[in-house]
Amino acid sequence: MKKKVTNGLNVFAFLLPALLLFVGVLIAPIILSGYYSFFDWNGFGAKTFIGISNYKELFTSNAIGFLKALRNSLLLAFLSVFIQLPMSLGLALILGRNIKGERGFLSVYFMPVLISTVVIGQLWLKIYNPSYGILNVTLTKLGLESLTRTWLGTKETALWACFVPTLWQYVGYHMLLLYAGVKSVSPELREAAKIDGATNGQINRYIVIPGIKPIIRVSVIFAITGSLKSFDLIYVLTNGGPLHATEVPSTLMINMLFLRNRYGMGSTIAVMLIILCFAFALLINKIFKEDK
Amino acid sequence: MRKVLATVLACVMMVSLVACGESAPAASTDNGSTAPAASTENTQVAADEKVDLEMWCIATESDSNRHSYEAAIADVTAAHPEVNFTWEAIENQAYKTKIKAAVAADEMPDIFFTWSCAFLGDFVEAGRVYCLDEAYEGFKSELPESMMGNSTYDGKHYGVPLTMNIVGLFANMEILKSVGYDAVPGTYEEFIACCDKLLENGIIPFGCAGKETWCVTEYLESVIEKSCGAQTLGDIFLGKATWNNADVAGAVDTFQSLVTNGYFDPDGIALTNDEVKANFMAGKYAFYMNGTWNCADFAGNDEFKDKVAVSEFPVINADKATLGQLIGGPSDTLAVAASSPNAALAAQFTFELGRQICHYGYLDGCGLPAWTPYGDTSTVNALTQTVAEICANANAYVLFGDTAMNADAANTYLSYVDQVYGCAIDGAGFVEGLTNDIG
Repeated sequence: MKKKVTNGLNVFAFLLPALLLFVGVLIAPIILSGYYSFFDWNGFGAKTFIGISNYKELFTSNAIGFLKALRNSLLLAFLSVFIQLPMSLGLALILGRNIKGERGFLSVYFMPVLISTVVIGQLWLKIYNPSYGILNVTLTKLGLESLTRTWLGTKETALWACFVPTLWQYVGYHMLLLYAGVKSVSPELREAAKIDGATNGQINRYIVIPGIKPIIRVSVIFAITGSLKSFDLIYVLTNGGPLHATEVPSTLMINMLFLRNRYGMGSTIAVMLIILCFAFALLINKIFKEDK
Repeated sequence: MRKVLATVLACVMMVSLVACGESAPAASTDNGSTAPAASTENTQVAADEKVDLEMWCIATESDSNRHSYEAAIADVTAAHPEVNFTWEAIENQAYKTKIKAAVAADEMPDIFFTWSCAFLGDFVEAGRVYCLDEAYEGFKSELPESMMGNSTYDGKHYGVPLTMNIVGLFANMEILKSVGYDAVPGTYEEFIACCDKLLENGIIPFGCAGKETWCVTEYLESVIEKSCGAQTLGDIFLGKATWNNADVAGAVDTFQSLVTNGYFDPDGIALTNDEVKANFMAGKYAFYMNGTWNCADFAGNDEFKDKVAVSEFPVINADKATLGQLIGGPSDTLAVAASSPNAALAAQFTFELGRQICHYGYLDGCGLPAWTPYGDTSTVNALTQTVAEICANANAYVLFGDTAMNADAANTYLSYVDQVYGCAIDGAGFVEGLTNDIG
């Protein structure tokens, strides 16, 4: 009995520093955000308790446009899952076959993940520049001048123009996760399937992909929560404009917190983001469990 | 033994974490109370004791005010050997975030740059800014009371103005001459005729950075002011009158017609102000409406300085507006944190610094002096001298809308300006929306 208590204390003592960090850095800010979301507060003056008014306003005010921002994020999440992840999976499956130059390709595809998002933003700003950007210049040279646009300045194209680099940047990230999974599939299984006459496509479909489902689940969670939290690239490229066409909840949150001095409303958006991320993570886990 | 050692190590780690937490000052969450002003005892500094003063501002390396800050700091620190002065310059947009976060946490530097009116007003209301009345007594003869108005709240002074600026209509005279104009047209009708002629010749009349909405307001506010008059616009910005004004709606439609007539660079909507300014200097546009702080950069460019002229936007409705009604005024300001342990000394230091920044800024052409100029000012560039002449004939100033209004209202206003520029709403929609959202 005494040994059990001592062991328990030891475990507690070992866990305490990490627990304190976890509570201080993650849990406490979430609780504080929840607390501030019930106040009308400019960040430095007196706080006024207003109950759930911020939540009501968030979902009903056209001036704030939270639903539109959320829709943009969900669209990005959809594209991430149905365009970005299949691309990543495809690359991972190809590279997982021990092709020539595998390491080199891995490094190249992973490189955008290593580059600072601000640098990538600046790079794509130049690509999209209406006057000298490579996109418009190429279209003009190909005689497709009618297709040239002010890509980041037009409501109709800005959102898609932001999505392209966002998806492109993280293809390598998901590819690396999935590649690790592909590599962990037993070579004996592949060889056995080959001996039985299975093609590469059949091996991938019936052996590799089912084998890496837990990793696919993790990738889907990362892709969706990452899309809901997307901020930096959009902030650099358009800052939510033109006419709020590229607004996402995070840019809206920054706008509320630091431009409009509405800390209560900013905290409300933060709380909604946390709830949505958790909800989606649970939902995805459930879907994959049922599938199992 | 291993377990005991490991437990001890874990405890040491935990204690060190707690110690780290103690070393950093905790952010205050009780914002209802007013921070006490520094007592006189705290500000008594022994002659042989160095006092630390820290300043945050926006005079980054690329800012046209950078030189004036450097020169002023050199002067004032030389005069105050007892002060150990450090300063940090942060990019404009990032600074707005940083200073607000610092004010929220009550971790401000001793001296900080701010915009006057509502921006500083929020900080004053929260009790975070040191009252400068006592220090101002020693500088009254050099700094007119009229220049202190935008940083005066409830009759108390909280800011030291630096330079003042207005919105100027900058013109590339080389381009204008190429279409037969020797001067910027003086009437609105002539001005529009000039724009049409420029378009006929394949030249874009206006450059405007749609990515930074404040650049659009430089045009829009001038059009509204020259259509409805300074009094009307000023009253609306200060909340004394409603946005529900048919004249304002008409003026917004006038501005939008400039957009729909193709006078603005369509690519400008995706460009930053720096890019648009560079395009203007490269000869892409004939006109560029922006703050007169640009005079320094334009006059400092050997290739461009002889091509550029500055003037006032023409009157659109002579029944309600006149020449001499301008957008602008003293906005750039230095303030002292109430939490500064040496607030009284910082206040004195700030006035001296403000005077010198104003002096060098004026000489460099970064704006007109809020302080009474001293010394030889004959070297001031021609553009700034023209701005001085415009201001000498001014009869009313309306401060920039996003500075005059509080942060929430200002951003709502900017959002509607965006929609007007993007032709998503017209003048009626603009006033209706702002009436509903602001009043």
